[in-house]
Amino acid sequence: MFKDLDPLLHSQLRLSVISLLVGVKEAEFSFLKEKTGATAGNLSVQITKLSDAGYIEVTKSFRDNYPLTTCKITAKGLEAFELYVENLKSYLKPGN
Amino acid sequence: MENEKALTENESLAVISKMIKTAQQNFKDDSFYYIFWGWMVFIAAITNYVLLITQTNNPTLPWAILMPLGGIISGIYSYKHERNQKVTTYTEEIMKYVIIAFLASLLTVLVMMPKLGVATYPMVLLIYAIWLFVSGGAMKFMPLVVGGIINWVAAVVCFYVNYELQLLIISLAVLTGYIIPGHMLKIRYQKQQNGK
Repeated sequence: MFKDLDPLLHSQLRLSVISLLVGVKEAEFSFLKEKTGATAGNLSVQITKLSDAGYIEVTKSFRDNYPLTTCKITAKGLEAFELYVENLKSYLKPGN
Repeated sequence: MENEKALTENESLAVISKMIKTAQQNFKDDSFYYIFWGWMVFIAAITNYVLLITQTNNPTLPWAILMPLGGIISGIYSYKHERNQKVTTYTEEIMKYVIIAFLASLLTVLVMMPKLGVATYPMVLLIYAIWLFVSGGAMKFMPLVVGGIINWVAAVVCFYVNYELQLLIISLAVLTGYIIPGHMLKIRYQKQQNGK
């Protein structure tokens, strides 16, 4: 049976961000930008969407007088990611 | 990358696997500490040995100069480099605790030197062995794991030999446990950077 894929995660950039954050404790905005190859504006919008959904926690601070944005995945985000992967499996199983 | 590009299931899987791999491959260049401390201990042990056999005054002076100097230099290096780190992995988080345990144990042994006597250097090598074995395992870097095993063996040998010989064994142990694996680690990091 096909299961609905979480629309919040079923987008290339948001899925990339969540996948990067799954493997690390926390990452800076510049790291996510470098690894995803996204523009700062687009990444910022997608991070806000993930943060609003409670999937990631965004911390804003300063380093050397420059704003510093740090992101980390939340328990809710991890659960959503695991569910997404589980649902994805049902699409990929042979015979479906 | 497109804002809302529609993904197929296979593309989703490809994105997940690529990004997880990217995050995991983000090795930090830690080789400085292994190479730097390897050479500091190597030079201190060798000069201590030379001063001992030439019966010079204050043969342990190299340790008293080089170790605090090393602490200051690596402190400055760490402040300059670590604060600009863009990502923190779970491994690094655990290694922070391991390095605190390592430094605390090393300090305890060095403070207890008057009580430990000739057992001091074997104890130091045991602590080196734990550090090398654990950090090598965490970074999945075999030369450090092997270096840890060599330091364990060196520690056992050191328990049976005199102070002069212990100094030579220490210099060999840091050469094989820190200096050589440190340079190999640097090469691995450079390869990773070039492969991007």
